[in-house]
Amino acid sequence: MLRVDNITVVFGGVTAVKDVAFGVKNGELLGLIGPNGAGKTTLMRVITGTVTPVSGSVSLINTSLDRKSSHERIRAGIGLSQQIVHPFRSMTVGENVAYAAGYAKTRNPLRSILSYSRKKEMDKAREILKLLDIEEVAEATPTNLPLGYLKRLEVARALALQPKILLLDEPLAGLNQMEARKLADKLLELNRLGQTILLIEHNLSEVIRICGRIIVIDNGIKIGEGEPQKVMRDPDIRSAYLGEGYNNAAS
Amino acid sequence: MLFVNLCMQGLLQGGIYALIAIGLTLVYGLLRILHVAHAGLYTLGGYIAVIVTNTTGSFSLGLMTSMLAVGLVGMVIYRLIYQPILDKPPFVALIASIGLFIALEEIYRIIFGPYGITFAAVPLQGAVNFAGTYLRECEIAAVLLATLLIAALTLFTKHSRIGIAWRATVTDPEMSQSFGVDVVKVRYLNFFIGSAMAAGAGSMVALMNNLVEPTMGSVPSYKALAIIVLGGLGNVRGTLIAALVIGIAETFGTIYLGDYLDRDSIAFAFLILVLMVKPTGLFAKG
Amino acid sequence: MEYEISLLTIMGISIIGALSLNIIVGFCGQISLGHAAFLGMGAYTSAILTKMGVPFAAAVLAGMVVAAIFGILVGFASLRVRHDFLAITTMGVAFLFLGIVRKQEFLGGEMGIAMIPDPGLGKVGYMILVLLLALAVALFSIYLKRSWMGFTFDVVADDEDTATLIGIDVSSYKLIAFAIGTAFAGLAGALYAHHVKFIDPESFNFVESITVLSMVVIGGAGSVWGVIIAAAALSLFPMWFQFIDQYKLLVYGGLLCAIMLFSPDGLSGIFTRSLANIRGRESNASG
Repeated sequence: MLRVDNITVVFGGVTAVKDVAFGVKNGELLGLIGPNGAGKTTLMRVITGTVTPVSGSVSLINTSLDRKSSHERIRAGIGLSQQIVHPFRSMTVGENVAYAAGYAKTRNPLRSILSYSRKKEMDKAREILKLLDIEEVAEATPTNLPLGYLKRLEVARALALQPKILLLDEPLAGLNQMEARKLADKLLELNRLGQTILLIEHNLSEVIRICGRIIVIDNGIKIGEGEPQKVMRDPDIRSAYLGEGYNNAAS
Repeated sequence: MLFVNLCMQGLLQGGIYALIAIGLTLVYGLLRILHVAHAGLYTLGGYIAVIVTNTTGSFSLGLMTSMLAVGLVGMVIYRLIYQPILDKPPFVALIASIGLFIALEEIYRIIFGPYGITFAAVPLQGAVNFAGTYLRECEIAAVLLATLLIAALTLFTKHSRIGIAWRATVTDPEMSQSFGVDVVKVRYLNFFIGSAMAAGAGSMVALMNNLVEPTMGSVPSYKALAIIVLGGLGNVRGTLIAALVIGIAETFGTIYLGDYLDRDSIAFAFLILVLMVKPTGLFAKG
Repeated sequence: MEYEISLLTIMGISIIGALSLNIIVGFCGQISLGHAAFLGMGAYTSAILTKMGVPFAAAVLAGMVVAAIFGILVGFASLRVRHDFLAITTMGVAFLFLGIVRKQEFLGGEMGIAMIPDPGLGKVGYMILVLLLALAVALFSIYLKRSWMGFTFDVVADDEDTATLIGIDVSSYKLIAFAIGTAFAGLAGALYAHHVKFIDPESFNFVESITVLSMVVIGGAGSVWGVIIAAAALSLFPMWFQFIDQYKLLVYGGLLCAIMLFSPDGLSGIFTRSLANIRGRESNASG
């Protein structure tokens, strides 16, 4: 489905990502893990086109995304949930999701000016919010909501785009253990419903619990790939991880 | 000779612009506010200088009173207008500032009359032969004052304790606060110094034109905005260079482009050209 | 009677002008300090054309097209620079417009263009035309705001980076906002030129830009009703109360400043808040 080939990214002379390649299979829940500063978010930005790599290419279902701008890549079938939540604060939670759900109406400005009714999208938004258990805040504005809701709103908005692949950048970060577990369960449920997901996470225990396959990145280099339990038994990976992630998982 | 003369006029104009624009860029650097009303203080500086000079007969007393008084007015404006809206989106302060500026011009018109006021006896009008071109004494005084004030500002921010604190605050307000810098005091100081410099410029322009009128700040206010944007918003050195560049570009532009473009829009033509190539100005900060 | 007719005509033109800026500033969130330049472009284009014998309607349309073309050019600037830089750029565009017009012989230079032909509708007929057009622009604005394009403008105004990341072609939408807004500005300018029959660079100076902006801001950027009320009130007040005219600018300046200090979202903000207050009190009383 999504292929990332030999990506290298350099920031001001420092190599942030070096020659990383991986693929996400249709229907898969793939975890991408690594310590802070390993280059996970950079990789995600390469996929969405906000960071331009020095070399390498990204393709979605055999179509190259390399020459496409960010919004075109999203249109090609990527739903992105950012690590730092960015709700539209001037509208309600429901409208946030409904707007994304109306993606077909906003592709072409001419169509957007001729489209008026929001009913179908508002219904769709309710459905998605219900799926993520935040239906009760549909009428609220995001400004005063706790992070747990905003994180799920971020996922809901990405989901509303009906993406071929859902790209989640640390959706569990900042949530307490119980909230994280609940959201992780939701992600697993989505995946079982057929949603392909690339999950970038720091929360190792949840990743190991829900992902069918993981990729480990450290210092911008891919150091492991495979079944979670197997990969994490690799001593090299354990030593790379020891210090932060592994301890988290152990604790 | 025309060339030298134009350069001189350009530098003189640039020096005046620099005095106005530095205050503006200081305010922007510290508070991210486009302080349009700054030019209202420049005009006020001109009025006070003329009035005090006419009453006491001493221009230097007029100049000093003007700088001091306008500096204080600047602090009051910060307290009354900007402080309450610091946490609002930037255009709020911008529009408030434009409103204040329009109101200030009207207040001057109502108090001092629409036709402006002049010196009873204009000091420093003798001409001096300077490298083959003639400059008036007041023009030399203006250049000297600009150089002196800018040099003093540089020394002050480099060597005095509060000056260093000020620079630190401009660079990183939160960091400096955690190091015990009194941010509020720095802001007041900022407005005092910036406004006083604008008053200095206003006084010198009053002297050179022997006229202060309510709308004298209009054109400089917007031009100073163009200059600080060119200089990279908040960058003092960039502003200084941009002021001189605009001053020179205008004097030459008036001669060579005068048929197509009036003088006051040259700065903006230049600004738009630069921004289209480099959207953060000539000397972006950081 | 003639005076009142003229007053209502000016009011209609002000409403069109303010609503046109509201699309750019209020809907799409792009600050513009140079809107009078686009009114000027519509005014100059249409005036020159009708003086050459082109029919009024065609000339007005041409004025709108010219204003929109330049509007899109400035829109491109909004893609390059943001926020404060955009504010100053748009201001620069307005000064540049004046600076160029002042020096052009065929635009009348400093003297402006006089004796602009009458559209031949009579005073009342012209007033009705202007008010109908104002109504049309108002209805279009209300529709636009509720349409998916308006929804997209909301999103772009809110957070354009995030808008991109949910697949929105932010650049196109911004350009469209500028195109629509400046086309209506051109309309207002053309109507103005054929109402007063004389235009010069000063008719479209910076204070005029700020006047239009103040209508939008005082009304509450984005609120169609607020902007209409503010535009009507601000264009009528100084003429009704002749004695204010002397202090018109002082009132403008003071109002702008005061509204920003006490209610940055304008009249519509005051209205929404007091409504919420009343509702709050009612529910308190009942509960």
